[in-house]
Amino acid sequence: VTLAPGLRKLVFTAHVVSSVGWLGAIAAFLALAVASLTSDRAETVRAAYLAMELMGWSVLVPLAVASLLTGLVQSLGTHWGLFRHYWVLFKLLINVVATILLLIYTQTLETLSDTARESDHVLRSASPALHAVAALLLLLVATTLAVYKPRGLTPYGQRKQREGIS
Amino acid sequence: VSYKSEEREKTPRWVKVFGVIAAVVIVLLAVLLIVGGGHGPSRHGSSLAAGVTMPR
Repeated sequence: VTLAPGLRKLVFTAHVVSSVGWLGAIAAFLALAVASLTSDRAETVRAAYLAMELMGWSVLVPLAVASLLTGLVQSLGTHWGLFRHYWVLFKLLINVVATILLLIYTQTLETLSDTARESDHVLRSASPALHAVAALLLLLVATTLAVYKPRGLTPYGQRKQREGIS
Repeated sequence: VSYKSEEREKTPRWVKVFGVIAAVVIVLLAVLLIVGGGHGPSRHGSSLAAGVTMPR
């Protein structure tokens, strides 16, 4: 399936916006996570946990899913394919792993948020900051791969290329 | 045009480096999960109990 040029650009724009937006949203999430660890004001710490849970479901998950779906359409609808180039394959793996981990982690955010909302004491956890740093690193690698597009065909990509030439 | 050569391209060095790094990270995470007794809200919940508290 090959996308028409206009549609291809639209999907590409959506993919860049959602992917880079996801990266930026994690940076904002990290700022909240650091505030929850370092602030000496209970209100700030409590608000940070509530905001992180809200961000998880309303910003991070939609952007992650949008990035994954637009990436799939973009790959399958162009000559790049999904399994032909190593850089596309690595990006796909990073995106799938990061999205699954995020979906699982929303449960932790819910637990932290519930505790902050209901407990008389605000409990600090380094977990959100650690996960945000890991996510930032993963998405920075994915963004770098997308920009540099390092050479290298997978065995499947080489076979497809030979079939195309002969 | 016929393409008779069945020679495969060598796997690029960056792919090997990425593969090794990914494998090391996965093994490290697996060890952490096994040593730390799993992952998920319950684990974070237990670590929370030992965390710093602050009165409302």
